[in-house]
Amino acid sequence: MSDRPALASSPFPAMTSGRWGLAGLAVVLAAATPLVITNQYTLGVMITTLILLVLNISWNFVLGVAGVWNFGQLALYALGGYGTGIIMLHSSVPPLLAMLAGGLVAMVAAILLSFPTLRLYGIYTSLLTFAFAEVIQYVILNDGSGLTGGSFGLPIVPGLYSSLSLAASARAYYWTVLAVVLISTTALAAVAHSRLGIALRGIRDAPGYAAARGVNPLRYRIAAFAISGFLAGIAGGLYVSYNQSISPSVMGLTPMSVYVTMLVIGGLGTATGPILGTILVQIVATLLVTHPGAEFTILGLFLLVVVIFVPDGLAGLIGRYWRRIATWAAEGEQTGPEGGETAPAEAAGATEGSPDQHVA
Amino acid sequence: MSATDIVGIAVTTIILGSIYGLVAIGMTLIYGTLRILDMSQGSMVMVGSFIAWGILVVAGWNPTLAIIAAFIATFILGALTQLVSVQPLMRRRNAIDFEMVTFITTFAVAMVLTNVALEIFGPFQRNVTPVVTGSISVYHGVDLPYQELTMALVSIMLMAGLGVFLARTRWGMAIRAVAQDLDAARLMGVPVGKLYPLTMGLASALAGVAGVFLGGLYFAYPQAGDLPLLEALIVVIFGGLGSLPGTVYAAYAIGLIQATAEVIVGTTWSLPILYGVILLVLIVRPYGLLGKPSEARL
Repeated sequence: MSDRPALASSPFPAMTSGRWGLAGLAVVLAAATPLVITNQYTLGVMITTLILLVLNISWNFVLGVAGVWNFGQLALYALGGYGTGIIMLHSSVPPLLAMLAGGLVAMVAAILLSFPTLRLYGIYTSLLTFAFAEVIQYVILNDGSGLTGGSFGLPIVPGLYSSLSLAASARAYYWTVLAVVLISTTALAAVAHSRLGIALRGIRDAPGYAAARGVNPLRYRIAAFAISGFLAGIAGGLYVSYNQSISPSVMGLTPMSVYVTMLVIGGLGTATGPILGTILVQIVATLLVTHPGAEFTILGLFLLVVVIFVPDGLAGLIGRYWRRIATWAAEGEQTGPEGGETAPAEAAGATEGSPDQHVA
Repeated sequence: MSATDIVGIAVTTIILGSIYGLVAIGMTLIYGTLRILDMSQGSMVMVGSFIAWGILVVAGWNPTLAIIAAFIATFILGALTQLVSVQPLMRRRNAIDFEMVTFITTFAVAMVLTNVALEIFGPFQRNVTPVVTGSISVYHGVDLPYQELTMALVSIMLMAGLGVFLARTRWGMAIRAVAQDLDAARLMGVPVGKLYPLTMGLASALAGVAGVFLGGLYFAYPQAGDLPLLEALIVVIFGGLGSLPGTVYAAYAIGLIQATAEVIVGTTWSLPILYGVILLVLIVRPYGLLGKPSEARL
């Protein structure tokens, strides 16, 4: 990655025209799905998966791209959800504005959280941010004023599409969340290749060198937290709108371990990794929903195998096989010496995250 | 605050501190030697609790046997955990992400152990017979159950035993040598390959013994290790990663904070107050009480 020029001319240097076509096809297929699938349960699982995807994309940015081991992301998600839900319940603000406000609440909290973590490294960061999440959860649980509803959570929140019928609103939610996923994936991929993204990876991989070259860790880390926090808050807002409620059980060690598994299996720090990991883990979880013990045992073994044998995750694995096929095809045309180095063979995932993710 | 409260706080501090210390000292030992934060230590507590349940309740045998069985079983399990989840990664030992990668793999082991227990035993909380019953009155209104007293004594003995082991024995000195300088230790002929599983087995065995007592205090159930793991993490970070004396001080300091908070504001708020204190400590001292920036050694 260090050999690459500082700033690519296009915001998406890894995307060839063929790959744009593939991505376009995937988007069209994903958008057409609710027209084909009418089973409300299946559609519900898919919407939940997409909402998780928004959360995981936001988390991947701070965890994978910026390399800050922030384990307080679920607190930001919950803050965004509660912020949105409380505004929707207690005021007549348009629902979209309420969601935006929820995102801003999470963003402000993320910026505040970023200050103490700037002095810490690695494992200490993870504990501090996790402690932050635990405190937030306790405050929500033991809130005496009745604003958060304690362990029962918020009562029936109107949500975005309260006027639509059940089936129509499910479809509307699906498309809304899909749009958020697309926008955030594209935007964050562009950011990862911008000056900000390069600075963040520089701080992640070589903090001393980056600082010596004039990259101000303070400014960039705060920016990373702000972006990631805002998106996590939006994910929380989508959650509370779709489920019409939110409770403190969205946070904690168990959901967090599932989401970390998703990110690591997919490939931390890559653009496609969170998408692959979230969908795969969600499929396993849905199939084994009646056997929670078996589900987590399989996820744990999965995680172990992936970290030991495929450190760059599924995105990296697919990228490498893609390159091998491209090499093989290129060798058929002309017996080139080292096809692995050719530009189109570089996979979207592999260009973006180095196989070894670094501790800040 | 009355005298009863103060005596109560002192007694609770010693008991909590000893048990936190027993779990946390294993994590410190592992961090000092292997540079990894072992997230599977909580599961070892859970396994210890289930062994205590099996031997004391199902089989109805002697409590001493439960302690010995838990020690041996979790020793083997801990050594296996090292061989499965850490040894394959040792060649990446000098990579900057080693700490985080092993954090994830040991966490995966914890996930597997917890959920295998869930599949076998179900989610129920099982009562474990206390190792010893009865209690003595320390002061007006302050009773000290023998179970907790024994727990504190055994913890202190094991911690002291570990100290002697590290200071005096051949293997203990080898562990310290590896913690101080891996390459020099290897050149002096220390069998590093055997030492790593030994260290993790030893640490896990301490957690397993803690589980035998904690099972009697609370219950044996698949998630029984979650809270001890969180508390041990707090202690380890508070004391400074890799510093054995720091861990022991931190264990009693955390015990004192929690005991005081329980008396003053009640049990519900004791954990969030603990986290609040940790937030403050880490903001002021980013490397814990006795930790050294980036290089904390045994």
